Amino acid sequence: MAKVELKAKQNTEIEDRSSLKGTMASVLFLLLFIIVSWLGVYYLFVDRF
Amino acid sequence: MHMHKLEKIWLILGISCLIIFLTTVGVSAFYMGNKPPSCLLTIDPEKVDQQKPFDKPGLHKVEGKEWDYELVYVAQAFSYNPAKVEIPLGAKVKVIATTKDVIHGFEVAGTNINMMLEPGYISEYTTTFDKEGEYLIVCNEYCGSGHHLMFSKIEVVKK
Repeated sequence: MAKVELKAKQNTEIEDRSSLKGTMASVLFLLLFIIVSWLGVYYLFVDRF
Repeated sequence: MHMHKLEKIWLILGISCLIIFLTTVGVSAFYMGNKPPSCLLTIDPEKVDQQKPFDKPGLHKVEGKEWDYELVYVAQAFSYNPAKVEIPLGAKVKVIATTKDVIHGFEVAGTNINMMLEPGYISEYTTTFDKEGEYLIVCNEYCGSGHHLMFSKIEVVKK
């Protein structure tokens, strides 16, 4: 006997492909890296004679 | 033009970084007067030994200048003259150097004194020796077969 389909409607979640959150996170990570390395070199320069 | 909000944020961050870094360089050069070690001062490389101050290499006390001492170096393949110098702790010194033959390097290891010596040009760097110790000067521009043997020493001592 054929089964009755219980759920006729199924909601498929579609991911928002236009989201830029990941890109923003990597941009901030890169920014932090650049600033930290710049300051590191600067303090090394100031500390030495 | 439509632009995503986050795109605007990272464009602003990127452009401000560029402006901050370039302003730092600009202020350092035009306000504080920092310049490269070799800055338009020339000398005849064949007559280095006869010209002041290179006729007397070494540490000399000077009066009425912004610095207390002048430290004169003449580099040639494969040595520096003088080979060893004692500097009193805390002295403000202007290092003046040139080369008689090919391009040499002048790096006081572990400090900011790092210059290129080019034939025909005078390189200068003014600094205060405020840390005691022995410092090695090395040539960091390949200058020939004896390049690795080319060194000199600076001793910063309490007096």
